[in-house]
Amino acid sequence: MSRHGPPEPAGGPAVERYLAEVTARLAGPGRARAGIVAELRSGLLDAADAHRSAGLPPAQAALAAIREFGEPARVADGFRAEIAASQARRVAVALLVTGPLVGLLWIAAASASHLALRLGLPWQWAGSPAGLHLGIHLVAVAVGVTAWAGLLGIAASGRLTRWLPDRPRRAPTAAAVAGFGAMGADGLGLALLAAQLATAPGRLSPALAAAAAVASAARLLLAGRAARRCLALRATLA
Amino acid sequence: MRPETLKGHLDGILLAVLDPGPCHGYAIMEALRVRSGGQVDLPTGTVYPALHRLERAGLVKGSWSAAGGRRRRVYQLTPAGRHALDAERSTWRDFSAAVTALLQPAPAALSSP
Repeated sequence: MSRHGPPEPAGGPAVERYLAEVTARLAGPGRARAGIVAELRSGLLDAADAHRSAGLPPAQAALAAIREFGEPARVADGFRAEIAASQARRVAVALLVTGPLVGLLWIAAASASHLALRLGLPWQWAGSPAGLHLGIHLVAVAVGVTAWAGLLGIAASGRLTRWLPDRPRRAPTAAAVAGFGAMGADGLGLALLAAQLATAPGRLSPALAAAAAVASAARLLLAGRAARRCLALRATLA
Repeated sequence: MRPETLKGHLDGILLAVLDPGPCHGYAIMEALRVRSGGQVDLPTGTVYPALHRLERAGLVKGSWSAAGGRRRRVYQLTPAGRHALDAERSTWRDFSAAVTALLQPAPAALSSP
């Protein structure tokens, strides 16, 4: 929290009550909320100062500043889209960064195992069981969905918003879709591994397969949580 | 002036207020009030989310500053923000010229049959 510096001196109980009301209406990561509250507090103190130098006693100056800021619900409404966008961006970036790493682990695990006649990368192998072949194609579809939705999530939450029509739900929706895509890819990877363990476990490279499985399981859980969180934030937007 | 009337122009107005130099939230609000001759008097709390949206779009840059003993988030235009402001100004000039012409009472010579 050092980014926001030491806490401001309180602007009196009324200001703190107002800020608490705004905070209570904001969902999302605590860090984002802390930054918003710190900024609003300094603005309220500035407004109260202005009313004090215009002649109001401190307590009334604080109340006038609060009136000037408007209903807590309205202020929180304005910030909700911003919080959803920044959360969506974080989720999309995390998915796009971890995807290739987990994917490389699976490719390494498959390459070190003896699954089929190798003619290149795993999806070009000949003689692999039909189930494995179909599974790998489904993984490719899930990876494609994740990548495109993730890129859209990043585009809809950053500088490209300049040129896009203002639709606050776009970024959290895209990030949630990317999360579900990642769950699909990781879940399929684990299912293929389970099928291989059930049929011919001896052909697997144990260390790399275990590493890929652990990485995918972790990503599956985190992607699921992130997708649900994005959907929850999306639901708070008009 | 009702906030609804300003809808769609708030971004451009905020960029214009930041044109002379960096400003923090409350000073931006004061500038809005003064420069509009008191016509624009938004709930101050609604200006902050708009500033965050502009920052996300890369049109302004916010940073914490401790000048004057109070930590404030200070906003300044980015080069992209300056471009956007120029575009907003010329769009507004064309639009307002057209609407002014249209809203003017038609000359008597044209309205009589």
